[in-house]
Amino acid sequence: MNNRILSLLSVMALAGSAAAEVAYELVPNFITPPPGRETIGNGHGEIAVDSAGKIYVSVQDKDAGIQVYGTDGKFIKALPLPPSLHGFVIRKDNGGEFIFAAVLGEQKVIKCDLEGKVLMTIPTSEFPADKIGKGLKLTNCDVAPNGDIYVVDGYGQSHIFVFSREGKFKAVFGGPGEPLKLANAHKIFIDRRFEPARVMICDRGHKRMLHTDLAGNFIGEIATEMRNPSSASFHGDLMCVAEIAGNVSVWDKDNKRVADLGTSPKPTNTPKIEPKDWQQGIVTSPHGITFDNDGNILETEWNQWGRVLRWNVKK
Amino acid sequence: MSKRRCQRVVRAFIILHSSFVILAPASAFGHGAEFLSAKLTLLPEAEVRLEITADFGGNPLIADEATARSALVDPVRLRVKDHLVALSDVAGASLSQHQNWAEFAPASYLPSDTEGQEHQLITAAWRWRSKTPEIIFEMPKGRMHDVLLWTRDETNPDAPPKWMLLLAGDKSKAISVHWTPWWRRWQTVMASSVFVLALGYFVSRNFTLRQRTL
Repeated sequence: MNNRILSLLSVMALAGSAAAEVAYELVPNFITPPPGRETIGNGHGEIAVDSAGKIYVSVQDKDAGIQVYGTDGKFIKALPLPPSLHGFVIRKDNGGEFIFAAVLGEQKVIKCDLEGKVLMTIPTSEFPADKIGKGLKLTNCDVAPNGDIYVVDGYGQSHIFVFSREGKFKAVFGGPGEPLKLANAHKIFIDRRFEPARVMICDRGHKRMLHTDLAGNFIGEIATEMRNPSSASFHGDLMCVAEIAGNVSVWDKDNKRVADLGTSPKPTNTPKIEPKDWQQGIVTSPHGITFDNDGNILETEWNQWGRVLRWNVKK
Repeated sequence: MSKRRCQRVVRAFIILHSSFVILAPASAFGHGAEFLSAKLTLLPEAEVRLEITADFGGNPLIADEATARSALVDPVRLRVKDHLVALSDVAGASLSQHQNWAEFAPASYLPSDTEGQEHQLITAAWRWRSKTPEIIFEMPKGRMHDVLLWTRDETNPDAPPKWMLLLAGDKSKAISVHWTPWWRRWQTVMASSVFVLALGYFVSRNFTLRQRTL
């Protein structure tokens, strides 16, 4: 009898671990660049997917800061947005679907529709003067379930600013001092896998990711000793992370690393790796990442020629 | 100045100004080197020169000069058998301040989209004679500043520089210095001594013979 129970428990444990396993396969040459181009163009870069499955990729083209691709990876159009959208997300809020972007070169945050029409701006003057330092260097933003907009000064002093849905300043936390002691908090995301939602911080200088609550209180470290976490995205219980020094990782809700993709044999952190030196399925300097609506992973890189890689989830 | 020349100057100014207006925003948002650049030069006779540069104008991890100087105190260590040796234990450092990135980072890592950004660089240089034929650098765990180690062989200046990015906990490959084994050095000394002795013997013998003849 005891043996039967033990066997049953073993089978259940195995089934459980099998369910937790996740695997991906590379989709070679997924993106078809705009006509007349061999690559998508100078990318800093970030990537996101809307609810219809269209793919949005940032490039540093003047007045065409985001390119839109279909679910098949074919170029559709460019949106008339600034070239320095260092980080952006696509979120549903208050009945609509919008792009929220940190405009690094112009020290502001914009909210626009999916056609690129700017609907709201949070200008530098809306940020508290005593936290601006030598100038804001905004790197990303995200939206909390209540509509609050979280913005990070990732290339500046790593402060995280909270604004109302209307763009009015509410609070600030983080920065280089206690208790979080952030350094180059490159991007932040609202982690809605948890209830209540949390703030997930890519504390790139310390090569770690950490969680705080929405008020900025420290919850815990997710991982340390990473290859410089730069961006992240969520799907179900999973989180994928772009590590700029040459790796893409996938994490479960218990902060366990469940997959590594495209790992570069030697660490990198440069936008100057030319297309002739790209290796199929090996990342150079991952800077932006997203899940699509089916749990496939799209990654884009800090690269002067612009690069997007895709891995499909094995089902 | 003639009217035509005046128009040409105004046109040139407008073109220059518009290029600046177009290029300036593009150059203002780039981020530069988020690492310390460590240029390793291999010199003859096992000599090694290591120049490590910190940018406190373009590195988001280095806010000011004081942080840059502190980052250069113990940026990377030498692996010697089973322990790590600080650079200060092998040589004293000399510090210099400049704005010349091109000489202190390999082309593939030169900050590219930061032309409008003012770089403020401090370089710490160490020079020593290696006691071993190979050297290995290692980044202790927990270090914040990545180190881009690139090697230049001064005895072979046309060879492309080799680089590797060291993150906390990483170890470099073994780098061969221009090492002359002790027996080779002694071989030269011995050969020279034999030659001098032989020459002395030859001279003295001839001189002596000449005296006898006289």
